[in-house]
Amino acid sequence: MTRRDAESPTPPDALRPTRRDAARPTRRDAARPTRRDALRPTRRELVAGTAVVAALALAPAAAAADPADLERLERLLALEQRLEAAYQAALDRDAIDRGLGEMLLAHEREHVRALEQVLAALGRRAPQAGVRAPGIGMALASRGAFARFAHELEREAVAAYTDALATLRRDGLLQPLGSIMAAAAQHQVALRQSVGQALLRGVA
Amino acid sequence: MPLVQPRPTRRGALGGAAALALASCGGGDPPPVEGPRAGSGAGLLSSIVALENAAVAAWAAIGEALAGEARRQAGAIRERELIHVERVGELVRRLGGEPPEGRSAEEYARMFPRLSGEETALRFAGDLEEQLVRAYLDALRSLPDEEQRRVAAEIAAEEAEDLAVVHVLAGDQAAPSPFVTGTQ
Repeated sequence: MTRRDAESPTPPDALRPTRRDAARPTRRDAARPTRRDALRPTRRELVAGTAVVAALALAPAAAAADPADLERLERLLALEQRLEAAYQAALDRDAIDRGLGEMLLAHEREHVRALEQVLAALGRRAPQAGVRAPGIGMALASRGAFARFAHELEREAVAAYTDALATLRRDGLLQPLGSIMAAAAQHQVALRQSVGQALLRGVA
Repeated sequence: MPLVQPRPTRRGALGGAAALALASCGGGDPPPVEGPRAGSGAGLLSSIVALENAAVAAWAAIGEALAGEARRQAGAIRERELIHVERVGELVRRLGGEPPEGRSAEEYARMFPRLSGEETALRFAGDLEEQLVRAYLDALRSLPDEEQRRVAAEIAAEEAEDLAVVHVLAGDQAAPSPFVTGTQ
C-alpha cells in the first residue's frame, strides 16, 4: 500500500452516495401482481438491462479476441441456452409455477441474447443450442424434481461465470458478465423458495 | 410543530457507511514502511473489508428491527458477511498488509439511519446489499490477481443471493431482473 493509499484511500464507487434520496416504496402493500406484472420489467430494469447488453456488445471492439476468452464465452452461452431450454420444457410440462417459469425463461433469453451479441461482435458465429441437459426427462416429472434440477444448472452457471471472471482477459466484459452471474445466483434463491427450501444454502 | 423523524434516505445510509468505511481505512496513522506493493490490489481489498465490517454491524442493527423468520435470515446473512470479512482480509494479509478492523457497535450505530420498523430495516438492507454487489463487481476490473478476482466473483454471487433474500422478506420476487448490477 502506498503512502497515498494509507492516507486517503479511494473508495470503490459503491461507497459514494447516489443521487437517489427518496426511499423506494415496496410493493408489499400493493395488490398481488398479475403474471403480466411479473413479466413486465420496470423502467429501471430496462435501463440497466440495455446498459449491460450495450456494454457486452461494445466491449470486444477495442482489441482482437483471445481464443481462450472466446471458448469461455461460448461455454457460458451453451449453459444459458441449456437453462433456456430447461425452463421452456418445464413450462410445457407444468413442472414449474407459470409465473416463476416465465420470468426465469425471460431472463435466460436476455442472457442468451447478450452473449450472442458479444460473440457476434468478436466475429464468432454463436453456436446453436445443443442437446438438452442430461437428466431433464426425469426432472420434468414433478415441480420439486425440476426445481432441484434447475438449481443445479444455475449453480453450474454461477461456477462457470466465476471461473470466467477470474480468468478473462477482456476487462470490459467483467461487470456485464458479473451481472448475469449475480442474476443466476438469485435464480437459485427463487428456485429454493418455490419448493419451500431454505432461502440460503446451509441455513436451516 | 411536532418533531418528525426524517425518513432514512439512501444517501444517508450510504453516506454513513461510506464515512465509516473511509474512517476504517487508516486515518491519520503513518504509512507502513513495509507492506503491500503499489498496484497489488491491497488498497481496494482493504476498502472492501471496511465495507464488509460496516455490513456486519448493519445486519446486526437490521436484525434488531426485525422479528421471526426475517430476524433469523438477518442473522444468517450477518454470519455470511463475517465470512466475507475473513476471506477478503486473508487476501490482504497475503499481500503483506493488515486488513482494517471493525469499529464498535456504538460507533456504527451513530452512522446508521434509524430503523423504526421492518419496512425501513428491509429498505436499508436492500440498499446495503445492492452496494455490496456493486462493490464486488466494480472490483473485478481493478483487482490484478486471478485469485483475487475469483474470490470477488464468488462473494458477488453470495451478495446477490442475500439481496434476493431481502427481496423475499419484503414481499417481492427473489429475482426480479435478468441483470443484477447493484445499481437498482
